[in-house]
Amino acid sequence: MRQAWNDYNPGKFYDELMYTQHQPHPFSYKLMNYLQSMKKDIFAKRIRASDLEMRERGITFTVYSDAGNIDRAWPFDIIPRLIPKSEWDRTEMGLKQRMNALNQFIQDIYNDAQIIKDGIIPEEIVLQSKGYRTVCKGITPPHGVWANICGSDLVRDDKGIMYVLEDNLRVPSGVSYMLENRKTTKRVLPEIFKLHNISPVSDYPAHLASMLTSLRPDISDPTIVLLSPGIHNSAYFEHAFLAQQAGLILLEGADLIVGKDDFVYMKTIHGLKRVDVIYRRIDDDFIDPEVFRADSMLGAPGIMRSWKAGKVAIANAPGCGVADDKVLYAYVPDMIRYYLNEEPLLPNVPTMLCRNEEDLAYVLEHLAELVIKPANESGGYGMLVGPHASTEQIEAFREVLLANPTNYVAQPTLKLSVTPTCCEEEGIAPRHVDLRPFILSGKETYVTPGGLTRVALVKGSLVVNSSQGGGSKDTWIVDELINQGES
Amino acid sequence: MLSRVGERVYWMARYLERVENTARLINVHTALLMDLPKQKEINWFTLIKIFNCEKEYHQQYERIDEKNIMHFLVADMKNPSSLVQALFYARENVRTSLDVLPEEVWEQINELNLMVKASLSAIGNRRRRQNMLLSIMERCLCISGIINNHMSRNHAYDFIQIGKQIERADMTSRTLEMTSLLVSNTHSEQMRKHKGILWGSLLKAISAQQMYLHEKRTSIEPDKVLDFLITDKALPRSLSFSLASIGSYLKLLPEPEDPLTIQQQILENLNAYRSSNIPPDQTHFFMDSFQMRLMELHQKISARWFHPDYEMI
Repeated sequence: MRQAWNDYNPGKFYDELMYTQHQPHPFSYKLMNYLQSMKKDIFAKRIRASDLEMRERGITFTVYSDAGNIDRAWPFDIIPRLIPKSEWDRTEMGLKQRMNALNQFIQDIYNDAQIIKDGIIPEEIVLQSKGYRTVCKGITPPHGVWANICGSDLVRDDKGIMYVLEDNLRVPSGVSYMLENRKTTKRVLPEIFKLHNISPVSDYPAHLASMLTSLRPDISDPTIVLLSPGIHNSAYFEHAFLAQQAGLILLEGADLIVGKDDFVYMKTIHGLKRVDVIYRRIDDDFIDPEVFRADSMLGAPGIMRSWKAGKVAIANAPGCGVADDKVLYAYVPDMIRYYLNEEPLLPNVPTMLCRNEEDLAYVLEHLAELVIKPANESGGYGMLVGPHASTEQIEAFREVLLANPTNYVAQPTLKLSVTPTCCEEEGIAPRHVDLRPFILSGKETYVTPGGLTRVALVKGSLVVNSSQGGGSKDTWIVDELINQGES
Repeated sequence: MLSRVGERVYWMARYLERVENTARLINVHTALLMDLPKQKEINWFTLIKIFNCEKEYHQQYERIDEKNIMHFLVADMKNPSSLVQALFYARENVRTSLDVLPEEVWEQINELNLMVKASLSAIGNRRRRQNMLLSIMERCLCISGIINNHMSRNHAYDFIQIGKQIERADMTSRTLEMTSLLVSNTHSEQMRKHKGILWGSLLKAISAQQMYLHEKRTSIEPDKVLDFLITDKALPRSLSFSLASIGSYLKLLPEPEDPLTIQQQILENLNAYRSSNIPPDQTHFFMDSFQMRLMELHQKISARWFHPDYEMI
């Protein structure tokens, strides 16, 4: 018996692998032929093999619950998601352009604030951003780059157009899963790699290490550490994984101490040893109890002192989260025009600012159709998804919105693209996906080919977060122009 | 290397060694009981005594029988010295030291963990239990093999070897102590008849029977077995070998004087041991004091490298 592909129907959504209900895209037909010709029991065997792979390799994420924290196996769907290289090349350029503008913006607002003086962005919007840190004023980090590691979320609408939904500039996670997903596909479906030219992703850790090294041009062989909040953090697996793969020293705040000379030291069996670069995976708020939250046990007192004196580099730089704000997001296209004198290559999702009277009036009339987001929350908290909300919820939200319109933005509800996914009950069915590529900026800029595709495993759901029933897929950038040989 | 990482890989090695030794000891003991007449002096509870956890056992179980004792020693998460507990801590220490260990160590310990979880229900069945314990030993040896063959000879490696040898010496000495106690408490004629089997079993528990026979070319004699397991320079599981090995790795670490002094005292004491001076049934006193010294050595290591007073810069 073959897989039941005949019933597959993406409906009104753009499909990442299928051009029409039964016709694959030109770049995905080889994969589809392969999958469709696979016997059902063989296919099921490969799925079980991939589950076992993930568990044996200990690839987990932590779910917080009342009953304590549970380590769950990473949910992985074995059908890859494909993007043609020609499209990806444009996307990559767009991402580099965007990061360049964002970094110039952060550098500007902590220094001359020229963009405010020129009236492009109102000052109060910058000041009310939750990530704004007064203490960062007057600082220029190495190469003028603040956001060294960024994970931008991309989505497609029903026309297939790729939009940037948000830029995660604080401590973006997920890159280890991108790498593990590829490793698993290689082990579980090795034959497929003969059919396609797939851009490799496995050199990300090397790029990460060289980016971090570039933050200390003054030192030939800097000591680089990864500062983790510890084993109870949901991304701990990723911290350990990256440290292992990139050759970083994995440590926690308690392993660090700032000397009277303002250098950062780590506690080693040889005594105290100087640290030159910190890849921190904890939020600004917790990094230095002397400056930010005094009750933090995760950071080390004095780190900010050392950073301001240029005695340690920190990636991402403290205060870079200022640009990770839903209101400022609406201004990114303006930042690109202002700093680079270029038109944005990647579109923003059209965004209305409720602080503008006209926009607010429109939003209030169309609450049932729109997605309304607070400026400073992440993970989907405090937002309204109009089409999925009840009349009572909409009316309650109207009150909240009117109380503080400046804090809200509104976007049309996107018809997110779908892709074939193995589902427990329905077999292979369309599910909504997004994409998180990772961008490294130091002396040079690097974009992962593809990134982490997250998939909402629940039918009709748009929620891709792994803590809420989301899964993930291997993402292939396929080059169809190269002649196929045996590999 | 970070002090904390040194501490973690040290404990990882200790727990892994404990898992392997526990599995071997249980299998050997099971085989021994099959050879001995059913009587009171040597029984399942002997194992509980070797692990020094009589009190913990009685808190949880009323009946002393094979089923309860196996559950307690292998599967009980409430027993701090059970095999699953040691495996849990070994895995946690690997999980937090991934940056210094070969990645296959993490994969192997996960596979070991999954295998143990899947087969725990089998421990009531002797045949299946033996197979499970054999697989556990194989996996542990596989992890040791990965470490030996893939890991640079750096300080993480040094701490792993030190942890492993301290645990091994501790376990060997506990097993010796128990055998010595059994001999001293045994008065029945029947038991003396099985002395050979008892000491042979001791050799097996330490994976040393074949080496003994090959080396000594003689039948199993209590005093020769003791000399062999305590002072032999070539047997990798003799106490003297373990201590000498600890010394050689301590010397590679920065400023090892404090721990090294203790290590040398213990080693000298071991090398001075002669079963002709201490009768086999009195050896447990010697072992008691050996275990105390080993504890002291651990404390010196911890104070020197894991939790030193850092001189502020």
